[in-house]
Amino acid sequence: MMNDPMQDHANGSVHRVEDSYLLRGAGMFVDDVPEPPGTLHASFVMSPHACARILGIDASAALEVPGVFAVLTGDDLAALARPMSTGIDLPGYLPADRDVIARSQVRFVGEHVAVVLAADKYAAQDAIELVQVEYEVLPASPTLEQAMAAGAPAVHGHAPDNILYRGEFSSPGFESVHAGSALRLTETFRHGMVAGVPMEPRGCLAAPERGDRMVFYTSTQIPHLVRTGLAEHLGCPESHIRVVAPDVGGGFGTKAIFYPEEIVMAALCLKYRRPVKWVQDRREELLSNIHARDHIYQVEVGFSPDGVIGSLHLRLYANAGAYSCYPFGSAIEALGGARMLVGPYKIRHYAYATHAVATHSAPAGTYRGVAQPACCMAIEGIMDRIGRRLGLDPIEVRLRNVIGPRDQPWTNVMGLRYDRGTYRECLERARVLSGYDAFRASQPADRLVDGKYRGVGIGNMIEGTGGGSPAYKVRGMMKVPGIDGATLRMEPTGRISVYVSHATSGQGHYTAFAQVAAEHMGARLDDIAVFEGDTSSTPYGTNTFASRGAITGGGAIIRAAEKLSQQVKRVAAPLLGVPEDRVILRDSHAMVRDAPEKAVGFADVARAAYGMVHTAPPSGDGYGLMATEFYEPPPLTIANSTHIAFVAVDAQDGRVQIEKYLIVHDCGTVINQMIVDGQLHGGVAQGIGEVLMEEIIYDENGQFLNASLLDYLMPTAMDVPDMVLDHVDCPSSDTLGGFKGVGEGGVIGSVAAVSNAVADALSGIGVNVNRTPLRPGYLLALMPRAARPAAAQMI
Amino acid sequence: MRSSKRNGGSPAWLRVFTPYEPKFRTDIVKPPKFEYYAPETLQEVLEVLAFYGEDARVLAGGQSLVPLLNFRIMQPAVLVSINHCQELAYLQQEESGLVCGALVRQAQAERSDEARRACPLLAAALPWVGGRANRNRGTVCGSLAHADPLAELTAVATALDATFILSSVHGRREVQADEFFLGDLSTCVEPGEMLEAVCFPASGPDASAAFVEVGNRWHGFAVVGVGAQLEFEPDGRYKSVRLAAIGVGGTPVRLQAAQDILLGTRGEPDALSEAAHAASAGLEPPGGFHADAAYRLRVLPTLIERAVKQADGLRNAQQGD
Amino acid sequence: MEEQEKTCIELSVNGMLYRAQAEPRLLLADFIRHEAGLKGTHVGCAHGVCGACTIQIDGCSARSCLHFAVDVQGSQITTVEGLAETEQLHPLQQAFKECHALQCGFCTPGFLMTAQEFLRENPEPTAEQAREAMSNNLCRCTGYVNIVKAVLLAAERMRRMPASEDA
Repeated sequence: MMNDPMQDHANGSVHRVEDSYLLRGAGMFVDDVPEPPGTLHASFVMSPHACARILGIDASAALEVPGVFAVLTGDDLAALARPMSTGIDLPGYLPADRDVIARSQVRFVGEHVAVVLAADKYAAQDAIELVQVEYEVLPASPTLEQAMAAGAPAVHGHAPDNILYRGEFSSPGFESVHAGSALRLTETFRHGMVAGVPMEPRGCLAAPERGDRMVFYTSTQIPHLVRTGLAEHLGCPESHIRVVAPDVGGGFGTKAIFYPEEIVMAALCLKYRRPVKWVQDRREELLSNIHARDHIYQVEVGFSPDGVIGSLHLRLYANAGAYSCYPFGSAIEALGGARMLVGPYKIRHYAYATHAVATHSAPAGTYRGVAQPACCMAIEGIMDRIGRRLGLDPIEVRLRNVIGPRDQPWTNVMGLRYDRGTYRECLERARVLSGYDAFRASQPADRLVDGKYRGVGIGNMIEGTGGGSPAYKVRGMMKVPGIDGATLRMEPTGRISVYVSHATSGQGHYTAFAQVAAEHMGARLDDIAVFEGDTSSTPYGTNTFASRGAITGGGAIIRAAEKLSQQVKRVAAPLLGVPEDRVILRDSHAMVRDAPEKAVGFADVARAAYGMVHTAPPSGDGYGLMATEFYEPPPLTIANSTHIAFVAVDAQDGRVQIEKYLIVHDCGTVINQMIVDGQLHGGVAQGIGEVLMEEIIYDENGQFLNASLLDYLMPTAMDVPDMVLDHVDCPSSDTLGGFKGVGEGGVIGSVAAVSNAVADALSGIGVNVNRTPLRPGYLLALMPRAARPAAAQMI
Repeated sequence: MRSSKRNGGSPAWLRVFTPYEPKFRTDIVKPPKFEYYAPETLQEVLEVLAFYGEDARVLAGGQSLVPLLNFRIMQPAVLVSINHCQELAYLQQEESGLVCGALVRQAQAERSDEARRACPLLAAALPWVGGRANRNRGTVCGSLAHADPLAELTAVATALDATFILSSVHGRREVQADEFFLGDLSTCVEPGEMLEAVCFPASGPDASAAFVEVGNRWHGFAVVGVGAQLEFEPDGRYKSVRLAAIGVGGTPVRLQAAQDILLGTRGEPDALSEAAHAASAGLEPPGGFHADAAYRLRVLPTLIERAVKQADGLRNAQQGD
Repeated sequence: MEEQEKTCIELSVNGMLYRAQAEPRLLLADFIRHEAGLKGTHVGCAHGVCGACTIQIDGCSARSCLHFAVDVQGSQITTVEGLAETEQLHPLQQAFKECHALQCGFCTPGFLMTAQEFLRENPEPTAEQAREAMSNNLCRCTGYVNIVKAVLLAAERMRRMPASEDA
């Protein structure tokens, strides 16, 4: 039962409570956590080879370095920790397990082969230079294309063709419908490998506590899953491990993974009973944190002469890297891309064959969007191509296929239910707000205006947010719970503490969750304090990734708030002299409905509940002002938006400028508009980077060529245009609170919009753009030399 | 410096070497131990350099050197900091030209009106060098001595045929730009020597200049860049044309052929186009993942035209045309 | 390998003098963080690109990961902790908060140091100038849109303040 609807909501663009201390430099990131005396610092020795047998390790010279405490190899660690196994329960799935430190074989450049513990980081680095490792270098399959070639070296012996997972789906009657298509079109989209690259590299500090216990600080998005993972791999009880996610400097899914270094650090802490600390440097960050989106989408679509899609076929190859990422496994991208391809369209016949391919490169995993940016690029690229083939405006093609209000609720061909959405409305609104029609009308056939090819691209997208348990189990991810929890507790002072099973890495949870709690408790926002990231105080949950914060954190808080509200009312009722059902909560007071002058503050209620007053507490069963609730969201909540990008491609140097950018967005009930907008800005910036400049480059020998920020280029302020953001209000019909997720939409829509805009810009000169990244060198080579502005013509 | 496979588009110290022999550690970010000296006079600097020879490196702004130390690509036994040697901070116009001592910060030169008047191409190029935080500490001479083939200032020195003043305990010698730059990160500075100053030849009072570059992102490292400095006859014809490019060779390239074609013209479209295209003859640009040789060759004429037009346009603006 | 001689390093940071025994190779960023105990300056890349470690040396922005503490003795170092002189936030910090110009906060101190120098020299910047000035610091969370807004808002407010409150 909700509280008085007339109460002022604590919603809206409230300034963040996190900011004051972050702005003063008083944040506590993992490298800032106070180091107990005697902390040892770890550095890892990394493999310089993509595939090699380890013949021997000689640490004798390293041990001579003053300050060095120990050097341990994979065999030493194997005595302390089990190999990592994701336990994916999916028919046909082949595991790609991993020793926490490589023992006999390395499978990617950057894989750890030894760890040095020393008194300080400088000494540790002196020592790793002196660790001698003897390798027998073996032929490697570092890239997707190499790994798929016949006879390629196998990354894992039990997957001789390097296919770790092959998934297939075919809707009933697909073959005949597809064969009978009036028109057919095929395209292959090649998305390049990228990575999340949060500004804060990963790290952890493990310190013994009394008895056998340990506190484990780690820069993570998944503290509870880390704790479970540590307990599993170290063979010790979960209750002995307290995991704390401190302030986390960006995650983007890169830190939603449980990594071997975490096991190593925890194991060393337990072994030596000393605090141990490790923080990545940027090169390690680039080399060994999860990579993503190295994908090939071979798409074939059958459609009618008026552009209505009848059938869609996908063959997808996703680079899974050398080992499976924990807890999601090697198939996360292969399945994600395949299952989300149909997008917001009424495609009733669909078939796919998807493949997770092992390569001698860093493990792939869950970078913001998780395959959706790439598959959205593919389906949106198909829409544009249908338009070009038929001479129809690409927006018109989309409108003829998109789910409209009367089609809802929609269950897609895969059986996924889309709750209430505004797929058509956002598209139509974006068309109007962006001036799309006027742009099209003025676009010359060759698109060349003032020396630049100008085009417009659309990213009409859905994102799967807030996954519940079934969403993960259907993909075999047995270690991802799907539920989240919240504990709300009223303190003796009447303030409310909120403990949520989430872990923020910039999304403003301390503010947004306080807003939800305040609204549902009838409390002032200032009376709420939110706590996250500490497994000893927060309830168990799935933690934070895949745009689930608002849905599951919000949902759990709403439930717990309902319970706590009841408790408060039960204690307040006798203080107010009215029955419980006449008590409402507003503005941190319990008051009588229709007689608000009769009110008692939360502080008074709390003191009464905690027996700090003369009056006896209410009789009856247990009272106390604390409630814990868990919330299982719907299997998947679909959010939608439409991105439109206008670009100009310089005909002489190939550089791309984004001249205008617009998003019309539906994320259901909005908690804090400012935070939502910030998520979109950030996602779009990453999408721009992904399309125009970011790429992880492995050469044919598996050397990671650009493992520094000089060479892995990320967008700066000059690369990101101002954006117009427009919101459509359509609460989810299925989630508690009506929330839909928003964290990943920015990158999903922008990859499609920007790449399609460039493709549109060059379509007038017969150039086909179907890959990322679109660097100036690549684009210029596609453009004919003759297309130069009139200013200077050469023979 | 070790030999390397050319990858172009990024400093050599980040390039990958021949297969199976990665020559730099992937796991180090703390610098190695070194002896540290901070002399306060040039004489002391030279004495320390003479004593340690090739074991010593000069530390000025550190913007290029310290990353190499952090990654331990370079492990000098001795660092001689000139940051406390104020006598090297001179920036002044002399008869020979604008003389820039070893401790002149890039930001200092950027702010200096005297430098702008004396050497417009230097003023035009400096805003492109790194970012403000790098220019505050990085030095003009330091960038030149590091000799990254993509450093904008190396194109300035090459275009203007700057004079490099090398000092040691044995005295001074002067070297011109084409003798100074030997290759990728390689100069003629001998062990025991330091680049004490660089002299950019004086330009006429009406000289105007421009620097243009392209890269894979709107702010960042150049893939190709061109500097142009023009001087004019009273009737507007070019009396002097100085052009150089980065990113089209292992060292900065003086675009002599283009200069010759433009001399005496007013930069008319036909002349400009002819000059721009003649510039590519004989060039063998490096390849690499940032941009291949084909891109560099194709974009060079465009940059030449843009740089000359911009410089020409600035002159017209100054004249109030 | 022998122990290296440690030397006495004295640095003035935010107006306070800190002294430590350390090797010459101790980076300024590490001195600030571990010897002075000021954790607001963050190390993101150790090669001078990301800008998270940006501080000011004698009022000029600089990458603390590219300097050795021993080499900047005699200079005044300013870090983010020195920005707000009182309990109140500096106008830049206040503007960042109001404009939602930070999310995880890791890059933020570096941006503040860069922005403060920029506004001191350009009290009336255009949006383009502000965007360009912010382009030498990397942020992965915000997409920069709000950072540029915050810088412009701070500029406007600082122009209306009594002179020389911010140096």
